[in-house]
Amino acid sequence: MDAFENGRYRNMDLTQRVGELERENAELRRALEAAEEANQAKSRFLSNMSHDIRTPMNAIVGMTAIGLSHIDEKARVQDCLDKIRTASSHLMSLVNDVLDMSRIDSGRVVFSQEEFSLADLTHELAVIVRPQAVQKEQNLYFEIGQICEENLIGDPLHLRQILVNIINNAVKYTPAGGKIHVRFSQRPVREDGVVWLDFLCEDNGIGMSEDFLERIFEPFERVKSSTVDKIEGTGLGMSIVKSLVDGMGGQIHVKSQEGRGSEFTVELPMLACPRKQVRSLPEDAQVLVVERKNDRAAQICDCLWGGGLVPVRLEGGMEAVTYLTEANYEGYMPSALLLGQELTDMPPLEAAAYVRKLAGPDFPILLVSEGDWAQMEYRATRAGINAFVPCPLFGSRLLDTIDSLVENAGGNSGKAGSREGDYSAYRLLLVEDNELNLEIATELLSMTGIQVETAENGLEAVEKFAAAPEGHYDIILMDIQMPVMNGYEAVRKIRKMDRADAGSVWIVAMTANAFMEDVRLAKDAGMNEHLSKPVDLERLQDVLRRQLH
Amino acid sequence: MRPYQQKYIDNVREIAALTERLKPGELVFEEYAALLRERERQAAEKVKENLELLRRNLLPTVDHLFETTPEDLKDLEDFASQLRGNTETRDEGLFRLIHQALLSLARQRGDRNAMIRELYWLGMGYFDLSSKLVGLGLQHVAKYVSQMRLCFTEAAAYLKYFDEIDDTETRGYILRSRANMSLGLFRSPGEKISQVRETLRIMQDESYQSKEPDLPWDRYIYTVHQQMATSISYRKEKVMTPEDMASIMDSAYIVYQRRIQETSEKHETPPLRWAFPYYAIEYYCGIYDMDHLLGRVEMLLDAADPADRSPDGMYGILSLPAFYCQYLLQYPERIPGREAYIDSLFRRAMNYADSFASSKEDRIPLYIRHLSYMYLETSSGTPFGEFLQWMMLRFMPEVYLHSWMVGTAAKALCELILEEEPEFFDDIPEICALTDPQKKRRQVLDDAMQSGLLHDIGKVSVLELSTRTVRQWQEEEYEVTCLHTAAGHLLLSERASTERFAPVALGHHAWYDGSAYGYPATYKRLECPSRQMVDVVGLIDWIEAVTNSDCSHTGIVMTFDEAVEEAIALEGRQFSPLLTARLRDKQVTEKIRQAFKAGRREAYRQMYEQERERDDP
Repeated sequence: MDAFENGRYRNMDLTQRVGELERENAELRRALEAAEEANQAKSRFLSNMSHDIRTPMNAIVGMTAIGLSHIDEKARVQDCLDKIRTASSHLMSLVNDVLDMSRIDSGRVVFSQEEFSLADLTHELAVIVRPQAVQKEQNLYFEIGQICEENLIGDPLHLRQILVNIINNAVKYTPAGGKIHVRFSQRPVREDGVVWLDFLCEDNGIGMSEDFLERIFEPFERVKSSTVDKIEGTGLGMSIVKSLVDGMGGQIHVKSQEGRGSEFTVELPMLACPRKQVRSLPEDAQVLVVERKNDRAAQICDCLWGGGLVPVRLEGGMEAVTYLTEANYEGYMPSALLLGQELTDMPPLEAAAYVRKLAGPDFPILLVSEGDWAQMEYRATRAGINAFVPCPLFGSRLLDTIDSLVENAGGNSGKAGSREGDYSAYRLLLVEDNELNLEIATELLSMTGIQVETAENGLEAVEKFAAAPEGHYDIILMDIQMPVMNGYEAVRKIRKMDRADAGSVWIVAMTANAFMEDVRLAKDAGMNEHLSKPVDLERLQDVLRRQLH
Repeated sequence: MRPYQQKYIDNVREIAALTERLKPGELVFEEYAALLRERERQAAEKVKENLELLRRNLLPTVDHLFETTPEDLKDLEDFASQLRGNTETRDEGLFRLIHQALLSLARQRGDRNAMIRELYWLGMGYFDLSSKLVGLGLQHVAKYVSQMRLCFTEAAAYLKYFDEIDDTETRGYILRSRANMSLGLFRSPGEKISQVRETLRIMQDESYQSKEPDLPWDRYIYTVHQQMATSISYRKEKVMTPEDMASIMDSAYIVYQRRIQETSEKHETPPLRWAFPYYAIEYYCGIYDMDHLLGRVEMLLDAADPADRSPDGMYGILSLPAFYCQYLLQYPERIPGREAYIDSLFRRAMNYADSFASSKEDRIPLYIRHLSYMYLETSSGTPFGEFLQWMMLRFMPEVYLHSWMVGTAAKALCELILEEEPEFFDDIPEICALTDPQKKRRQVLDDAMQSGLLHDIGKVSVLELSTRTVRQWQEEEYEVTCLHTAAGHLLLSERASTERFAPVALGHHAWYDGSAYGYPATYKRLECPSRQMVDVVGLIDWIEAVTNSDCSHTGIVMTFDEAVEEAIALEGRQFSPLLTARLRDKQVTEKIRQAFKAGRREAYRQMYEQERERDDP
C-alpha cells in the first residue's frame, strides 16, 4: 500500500504501515532465529558427525598401522582386521543415515508394496536387538497381541528400519537392568483389506524433557546429558523414522518423562494378504509341549488350543521321554513334539537327540525359540530337530509348521527331515555290501526323497561312477570294509578319474570303524567326512542338508 | 566269548601290568630305565594289537549287526560285561560302543525286553563316564549325565507295564533304572530329592513287591535310602523344604542305623563312610552349626587308621580330608589355627597312598583327585605344585614322563629365544617387572619348566581316558579328553602358587589363528598375557605327543624330523610363526631333540628314586 497518497501523508495509513513493518520484522526475526537454530543444529550435527566419523576412522587408521607392524603374526593381523571391520561397519551406518535423510528430504524414497510375514519380521527384529539388550542385562519383552492377519502387503524393509530404530533407541537410552516392552497388535481387517498395525515400545530409561519432545523428530537433535554423550548416534534416527512413518501413511506418537522412561507408538496401515490354509491336522490332535517357563508354555499352548489342537505340557526332557515311551508303547504318539527354549533338566537339543532315537525318523520335533536359527541350525538339525518356529510366537506360523511336518511324516511323501524341502532332484550313490544294511539305509534315505542308487562293493561303485555322466551323483555314501574292493581304494580311484566331478563329488565314509585313525584314513583316501555305524537318520540328514542346500 | 574277545581282555590285563609301578629291586638306574622303556614299548604293541583285534572282528560284527546270530549277541554281551567287570579289564568306551549297537538292534527289532536291558547298561556306561570326570563342573559333564539319565528314564518308563512284563530280569532292570534316574549331578539337590522320593515310593509299594517277590526289594530300598542320604551337596541348600529335610533325615537314619547294627553284630566300629554323611546331614538340616560339624569331622579324621587298608580306611584317610577342606575353603575364616592339622592330613594322605603297591587300584586315584581339587595350601605345608607333581608321578607316570620332557624342551627353546630376544616374554607382567636380566632369564626358564610340567595336569580329571585307554580313542572319548584343558585351568588357577601356569593348561591345544581345530574356545590368545609361553608349550607338547610312538591314542605317529617339518607347514595356523621360524635352524631342533632325551632320562630317574625310597624308606 502506498503511504503517500496525493502527496499527502495520512496518519491512518502510517500507523497501519508501521504495524505491518513490525509484523514483517518479527517474522523475519523468527525466520532468522529458525535459520540460525537450523544452522546451529547443522553445525552441531557437523561437529558431532566429524567426531563420530573421526572416532571409527581413527580406529581404522590405528589398527591398520598395528597390523602392518605385525604383518608376520597372522593372529594379530586378523585381530586388527576384525576391529577394522567393526569400525568400518559403524562408519557405514553413519553414512547410510545421512544418505537416508538426504533421500527423504529430496522425496526420493519409494515405498514398496510386497508380501511379507509379520512373524518373520518380528523374529528378525528380536534377533537384531536382543544381543545388545542381553549385553546390558535388560529385560526386553516382546508381546504379540491380537493379530488378525500375519501375511501382509507393505514395505517390510522400511518397516523394519522404523522398528529397529525405535527399539534400538530404547536399548541405548535404558540403563543396565532396565525394562523394555515391545508389543505388536492389529485392528480388525477392514472391508477394503486394510489392516492397521499397532506397535508400542515402552521403556523405563532416561526419558526426555518436554522441551526435547517437541523437537524429537527434527533432524540432528539428540537428548543432551552426560550419559547420552557417550552413546553413539547421528541424531538423524528419529527424524528418519518420522519421515518413513509419514511416507507410509501412518502416525507416530511419543510420551516421555525425564528419568521415568518413554513410550513410542506407531500406527501403520498395511494390506492384509490372507493365505488359504487348509490344514490337514485333525481337530483334537495331541501335541507335546516341553518348556520350563510357564509364560512361554502358556503362549505356545494358547496357540495350539486356538488351532483346535490339544497341547500336553511337560517341563523337562526326562518327563518327555517317559511320556513318549509310554505313548509309543501304547500306540498313541502325539502328532509332534514342541521343545521350548528352556527345560528343567537339560538343554532342548540333548532332549531332541534322544527323542529322535526313541521315536524314530518320522516323528516331528520342533524347536520354539527366541534364538537366532542361523546360529543354531547346524547343531539343531544334527540333534534331529525338523523345524524351527521363531519367537515372538505367531499362532498361524506355529500351526502351519506343525501341519506341514505332520502331513509329510504321515503322508510318506519323504521330507520328514528335509525342513528346507525336497531332495528329489538329487542323486545319491549308496555303496554297501551288506544286504540288510543296504535295505535299512535305503529306507532311511527314502524318507528324505533323494534318488538312491546302490553298489555292492567298491569296484561296482567305481564302475557306476565312471559310467555316469558328469555331475550325475551329488553325494556318495561309502562303506569301508567290502569284498572285491574296499571303500578307501574305491575313493582313491574315483578321485583320480579324469573328469570334472571326480574331485568335487561329496563322499562320506559310512563305517563301524570309529577310531581316530579311521576318521583320518578316510580323509586321507579322499573322503570328505565320516559317519559311524549304526548310522542314524539325523546324521544322514545333516549331511544332506549341508551338502545339498 | 570269542577267542578275539578273550585275547582282547588278556591284552588289557597285560597292559595294566606293564604300566604298573616297577620296583627297582637290584636294578641299577640304567637297567631300570631300559626296562621301563621296554615295558612302554610292549604296552604300545599290545595297544596296536587290540586295535587290530577290534578292526578284524568286533567292527565287522557291528557293521553287520542286523544279521548276527543269537550266539554272537550273547558273546558280545559277555564281552561287554567283562569290559566293565573289574578294575583290571576295564574298557568302558568299548562297553558303551557295544551296548549302543545292541540298543540300536533291539529298537530295530522292536524287542522290548532287550531294549530295556540295553538302555540300563548304556545308562550305566554313561554313569561310569560322567562319574569319573572328577572336578569338572556340571556344564562340562551335563551332556553325559543327560545321556545317562535319559537311558534310565526310558527304561523306567516301562514301569507302567510292569504287569505285562512277565520276565523277572527285565522287571529288575526297570526298577534299577528307576532308582538310577537320580544318579549323578543335578542342578539343585531339590530336583534329586524329589526323584529319590518318588523312587522310594515305588520301591515300597507293596503291589509291585507282591508281583515279583523274588526281586531283592530290601536291597533296592536300602540303595535308594543311600541315594537320599547322599543327595545334598556341600553347599547348604537354601531351597530345601521341610519335607525334603525329613526325607533326608529319615534315610540317613536308616542307613546309619543299619550300618551300626551290622557292625555291632560283627563287633566292629561303625564305618566312617556312613558316619560322616549322617553328621553332615544334621548340619545341612539345621540341627547343628558348622563349628559343630567341623569338630565331629575332626573326631572322625582322628579315628581314621592309617594302617587300615579297607575301603573304609581309604575313605577316612583320603576322602574325608577333602570334605573337611571343602568346608574350610567355603568358610576360610575357620582356617587360622588349623594349618598344622591340615598339613598333617595331607602328609598322612600322601604316605597312605604311597603305601599301596598298585597304582591301578581304582578308588585311591579317585579319592586323591578329589583331594587335589580341595587342596588347602598353607604357608607351612607342601606347596600345591609339589603335591600335583607327586600325584602325577604316583598315579599318572605316563603323563609325568611326557610333562617332564615337555618342560625340559620348553625350557631349552626359551633359552634360545632369550638369547636373541630378551624381551620376548615381556607381555607377562611378572616377567616385565624384572629389571635384572639374569633374574628375568631365570624366571622365564623356571616358568617354562613348571608350565611344561603342569600343562597336562587336567588329565587327572579324565584319568581313565587319558592314560588308561587300551586302544585308539573313539570320537566321543577324544571329546572327553579335550576337557583336560579346562580342568587343568580350574585346578591351577585357584591356588596362588600355581595360578601363573593356568593359562598354559588352558591354551596349549588352542591354535595360533584361533580356529576351531584347536580347543578350548574359552582360551582367547590375544587377551592372554602369557600367550608366548602358551605358544612355546603348545608347540613342544605337540611335537612330543606325535613323536611318541607309545602314545597311540590318536594314531598319529611321526619321526622327530617329520614333526618339525609339519610344525613349520602349520606356521601361522596352528603354531606361532615367531616359534616355527626358529625351527628352521637345525641347531635349535637338535637342542629340542636332546632336551626330550634328557627330560625322559630325568623323569625315569625320579621314578627310580621314588620307588627306591618306597622300598627302603
